[in-house]
Formats: sequence, C-alpha cells, structure tokens
Amino acid sequence: MAEHLEGRTAPSTLELIAAGRDLADASGGRARIVVLGHDVKELATHLAGYTLDVLQADHPSLAEYTGDAYVQAVRGIVDSMHPRIVLVAHTAQGYDFAPALAGAMDLPFLANCLALRADGDRIVALRRILNEKVQAEVEIRSERPIVVTLRPGATAPASLGRGMMSVTAVPVSIDPGKVRVKFVRLERPQVEDIDLSSADIIVSAGRGIQKKENLALVEEFAKAIGGVVGASRPLTDMDWLPKTRQVGQSGKTVRPKLYVACGVSGAMQHVAGMKDAGLIIAINTDPTAPIFEVAHVGFVADVLKLLPAALKELKV
Amino acid sequence: MPLNIVVCLKQIPNPDLQFQIAPDGKDIRRDALNYKLNGADEYALEEAVRLKETHGGRVVALTLGPKRTEPMLREALAKGADEAVRVAFDDPAAFDVGRNARILAAAVRTVPHDLVLTGVQSDDYGNSATGGLLAGLLGLPHASVVTRVTVAGGRLEVACELEGGLQRVVSVPLPALLTMQFGANTPRYAPLPAIMRASRQPIKELGPSALGLQGWDSIAIPYSFGVRGLSPPAAKGHAEMITGSIEEQAKRLAQMLREKGFVRR
Repeated sequence: MAEHLEGRTAPSTLELIAAGRDLADASGGRARIVVLGHDVKELATHLAGYTLDVLQADHPSLAEYTGDAYVQAVRGIVDSMHPRIVLVAHTAQGYDFAPALAGAMDLPFLANCLALRADGDRIVALRRILNEKVQAEVEIRSERPIVVTLRPGATAPASLGRGMMSVTAVPVSIDPGKVRVKFVRLERPQVEDIDLSSADIIVSAGRGIQKKENLALVEEFAKAIGGVVGASRPLTDMDWLPKTRQVGQSGKTVRPKLYVACGVSGAMQHVAGMKDAGLIIAINTDPTAPIFEVAHVGFVADVLKLLPAALKELKV
Repeated sequence: MPLNIVVCLKQIPNPDLQFQIAPDGKDIRRDALNYKLNGADEYALEEAVRLKETHGGRVVALTLGPKRTEPMLREALAKGADEAVRVAFDDPAAFDVGRNARILAAAVRTVPHDLVLTGVQSDDYGNSATGGLLAGLLGLPHASVVTRVTVAGGRLEVACELEGGLQRVVSVPLPALLTMQFGANTPRYAPLPAIMRASRQPIKELGPSALGLQGWDSIAIPYSFGVRGLSPPAAKGHAEMITGSIEEQAKRLAQMLREKGFVRR
C-alpha cells in the first residue's frame, strides 16, 4: 500500500517496496503496489520505476485519505486478488488504516514489524517490545490474507530500477454514502521559535531531567557548546518546551553534527528523528536504554550530576 | 447531547524497568514487575471524563486482563469514570492483539456506547492496533492519533496527528471510535475523597459466558498465532561506553567535545 500526501510519496513507501519485493522473491511470489487516490497517475507512473507492477485505484472519494474510503476500496482489491500479505507502513496513516481493514474484513494482523519472512505456511515477524528492550519473534498461519504494518526506518528503501513496470487501473467500488469520515483540512505546524533542523548542535532533554526547573541546566550546557535545546515527546506533551522543539517522528527530523541526548530513553519515535546525527552522545541512568544502540558514545550516569560536572570542566 | 462513552484501558509493566526473559523464552519474567495504566490511555480516560462533564452522559472504563488490573480500574473510577468493567481474560502476556481486540469487541457490544476511546498505543507491545481493530470489528467510523475533539450536531470534529507536526482534521459521525494521542489534554489527579469512594465501588467482571462464549478459546479467530521466542535485542551497534566516577566521566565528556571541535578551548 503506497502512502502519499499532497502529491508526494511517503519515504516509508520505498521501504515497503523493498520489503515486499524481498518477501515475494524469497517465497516465489510477486509483489505489487497499490496506489489509492484521485488523479494520481503521475505518482503511479513514478512508482512503476521501482521494478514492481502498480495497481492504481482512482476515485473521487479517495482524493483525501479517510479510513472509511480506503477500507472500502482495499476490501474490493483484496477480495479479487487474494494476496497472501497486505503490507502497510506503520505510520500515523498506516496504523489508522491497517487494523481497521483487518477488523472489518476479519483478517489476521501483525503490527509494527521490523522484518518479515515466510517459513512454509507461516509468516514470521520480528518485533521490538517493552520500550525496545525485548525482541520478539512471532508467527501467524492463516488461509486468509495477513495484514502487516512495517516499522518505518527498519528496511533499506528501494531505489529506482532500470525500465518501467506496468501501471494497471483497478476498478474501485466505493459507496460515497458509506464514507462516514469526512476530510476537513490539513493544519500546518505552528510558527517556530527556533529552527531545530538547521542547528549544528542539539542538546535534547528527556524524562530523565525529572523536573521542568532542570531545563535550565540543559540550556546552560547547550549554550556552553553553542547548541540549542531539543526535547523528547513527553517533555513537549507536558508543555515544558514548545512543540517545535520536539525531535522525532511526530516532531522534527534532525541531522546535526552533534546530538547530546540527556535522559532520553530512545523510544522508536524519538530515534527516527535523530539517528542520522554526525556524533550522538547519550547520557542515561539505565544501561539497557535503547538510546545507547544508536549513540556513538554513552555515559551511564544521572544527567543532573554529569552536566554540572562537565560544565565545570568546560570552564577550566 | 449526552454521550455514553466506553474507554478502553490497558495495564502495562512500567516500561522504564529492565526486563528478563522467562526460562521458556515465551514471555518476560513477571514475578517482580510493577504495573501501571498505559500512558496514552491516561489521555483517553481524561478525554472521556471531560466530554462527559461538558455534554453529560456516562463513562465506562473497560479493561481486559487479570485481577491485578483492579487498582487501575479503581484509579479510573476515582478520576471520574462511572463504572468499571474487567473482562476476565487472565493470560498475563496476551501477546495476540487480534484475539484481545475480538474479545474486547464482544465486551463493548454489551455496553451502550456513542463513543469508544482508546490510547493510540500501548507502551509495552506498541502495536497501535487495538483501536483500529475494534473500529473495524464493531463497524464504527474512527480516527487515530487524536489530539483535539469537539462535538457538534451528532458529529465529532477531531485533529489527527501526522508525521512532522502536520494535523489532519476530519469530521466523524457518532457512534465512533477515537484513539487518543499523548498530550491531547492534561490528565487530572484523583482527589482523596474520590479515591476513598472508588475503593468501595464494585468492579463488574465479564467472563466468557457473559459474552456468549463457552470459553475464551471459543472466540472465532481466522488464524493461529504463536510466540516463537523472546530475546534481548540484537544490537545493531552499541555506543562506546565511558565508565568511571562522575568526575572522570565529566572530564572525558569535556575532553571529547574539545577534541571534536565543539568547544573552543
């Protein structure tokens, strides 16, 4: 299932293409990508350059995403094509759509998978659970198509191949009277106080700083190394910092030269927004915190003790 | 218009803990865990209570899980839920979100509802699936990752968070299901008298027979699901760890920042 917004394909779609093609190749099957929308010929043609066939489902009710219209359209496609797997990105739109499809069609469902493989008549998925601290391998066996969401960033994206594959228009049956959810508008993020994405040095605060008052310490440290302060989601949710400072999937994606994570555990949604920083230094009291997996340098320490001590060293 | 609201709550192990794998490799060791209300569900509960306070109606807090979930349900009562229901599915791990959702859907059907709320995801398994599955199974229109809800003329206008700070505003007719995002509101603390009162309130228990089932295994599920095994994550990479006292660590940190040219001196 391709995902697109305002004429642009979501980056996760190219990962789905790669994962879908691999899985099909390994099991002797065939991968196809479905593009739902209205007037999306250009997008469909572009995707055909990734060496898989494109099914284009065009209907005025699909002009903007709604779970209702997507479920109706895909129900028809699944019923006529009987795929073994329906692959969807685990994005905000993907996990709105995929479980609703599985529920409405009474299909098996696997969510937020890092990797997938076929093992005989089973589909085996690798997942991360419990704040990324435990890996789980689970399997599903079913006669019915299995709906799977794939975690963004877990698969290397496909690149454009040589030549073009086919784009086929598939019939879409949508009863507009049954599209209950109506699109109203898109809202853009608020105006920013600082632009995190252009900063060379970001010092990010997480729940490990414990109290809002301790932000002053993080600010002081950031200032000492010429950086700006970012935050993980819980802090902006509590309004300790404005939403524009949030690093992660639902906030900013940043690529600074230096990223210092202070008391940030490293949940998937945060890591997605900072994993490509040049140098990542992580400070956390929990040695099993997943942030140490993406960090280059790690300190198991209380950030409220280490930062003051480091500030003292920097002033020497 | 008064709203009958069902809010689905999940009790999860505190995600800040360290976890050990059980000897059979199929679950984590659960003997020394402490449990709490799932983070996103706190916002779902708060939204339910606020909608009731504004529009009238009733809030039923519903959970699926063993007896240990009762303190969580009492917390929901103390924070404004009118009734607490525990679906007595006692599997401590309950890894299969599809099975959980099918049982929950059967339970929701027994409660009058104009609106069903869940958290956007549970912090233990991170499926972000229960709400969507429930909507599909119950045939309810739905919206996910909701940060804002307004009620007008039998419909809801809700803002759904997308990636990169974008919000998609949609209009959803009632009855409906919403999955609530972190930060959608400010969850309240329960006042002491309410906590005292909640400690005496009954918790309704639904077993399989109350849902028209012979046993939990007799719920129709179109697949078989299994956990092959749990393991510590295969680390893709790991940080170079700097050990020592705080002073030693601070020296190394400062030295490193100087060497890499992030500090002048």
